[in-house]
Amino acid sequence: MPQLIRVRPTKIELIKLRRRLSLASRIRKIVKDRLSILMLEFLQIAKETAAAREKLLVEFSETYKALSIAAGYHGYIALEKEFIATEQDLGIITGSRNIAGARVPSFELKEAERAIKRYSLVDTSSWLDQTAQLSGKCLEAIVMLAELQSSLELLGREINRTKRIVNALEYLIIPGLQATIKYLYMKFEERDREEKSRLKRVKVLLEQRETAA
Amino acid sequence: MSNERQLPDELPYQRMLQEYLSGELRVLNAYLPCEQKSLSNLLGEEYPNVVCNDGSTHLFKRKELEYLASLLDTGEQKALLLPMLIEVNPGQGEVAIVCQGKVEKKVISKILDMPITTKQERIMIYKPQLALIRKLLKTTTQYLFAPTIK
Repeated sequence: MPQLIRVRPTKIELIKLRRRLSLASRIRKIVKDRLSILMLEFLQIAKETAAAREKLLVEFSETYKALSIAAGYHGYIALEKEFIATEQDLGIITGSRNIAGARVPSFELKEAERAIKRYSLVDTSSWLDQTAQLSGKCLEAIVMLAELQSSLELLGREINRTKRIVNALEYLIIPGLQATIKYLYMKFEERDREEKSRLKRVKVLLEQRETAA
Repeated sequence: MSNERQLPDELPYQRMLQEYLSGELRVLNAYLPCEQKSLSNLLGEEYPNVVCNDGSTHLFKRKELEYLASLLDTGEQKALLLPMLIEVNPGQGEVAIVCQGKVEKKVISKILDMPITTKQERIMIYKPQLALIRKLLKTTTQYLFAPTIK
């Protein structure tokens, strides 16, 4: 049963409550719209996350295959020597973007730095080139998955929060206001009835006095 | 009245709900950009971004910008203002893309692969189409909520 709000039974309070009810209904519509947008984005990102995870696994397996072929061709010692030379810091552009009020991170790998091959092209074969190319794709997939995964978590939290607001509006605030408005109407009707019966009683009394006089 | 309670402001729970609601309306459009930048300008920036109303920055992905650039010629790249705004009206099944010129129409038409008509500077699309657009243009589009609170 909705909780009644304690107000003075006056017309002014009734007007205030009706205004509050119409505002609450509008807010509910807006918040519900926001929730539907967040859900749409959440489902989209969930699909993308699943696809990105699958892609990452495929790319990792391909890279390991290419790496084992390259290791077989060059030998581990020669390969390690080349890897030491190729060590570099990973350049990621980080920022944020907003999805209907929810702030989610945005990551992007710097293309220019990755394009430079730092190992000796004379001493190495095309197997290593292929491995490097595939590992580059792996890196890209990892960064993409990281972005999607964190976005998914943040959106999930925001959806929960928004759902709580929608529920509070739908099941607590709006029913409470409606019940109080209904109660005030009943109170006014009761007052009208009391007033009518009082007038009737007064009329009867006056008539009795007139007849007595 | 047997189940009477305190006035809403006196109830901590009610007060919390009211704060929640006011906060909700505050954040609703706070993330909108202070100004839109043209695609050609953004392509020239090292870190393409716009400053939002709440002081935060919105970063554009270069891949998306390059994708948009591939759809348009040089003149159109100057005319396309980003981020594109997607207007959400409460209680409606469709959303509108704010369209200031013909460039937005061309971009959306190419993405959806169908002819588009504009109405009062708006392109009306349905939610499945919105999902398609948002899939390709994650950072170059932003939602705009248009509440009609009297």
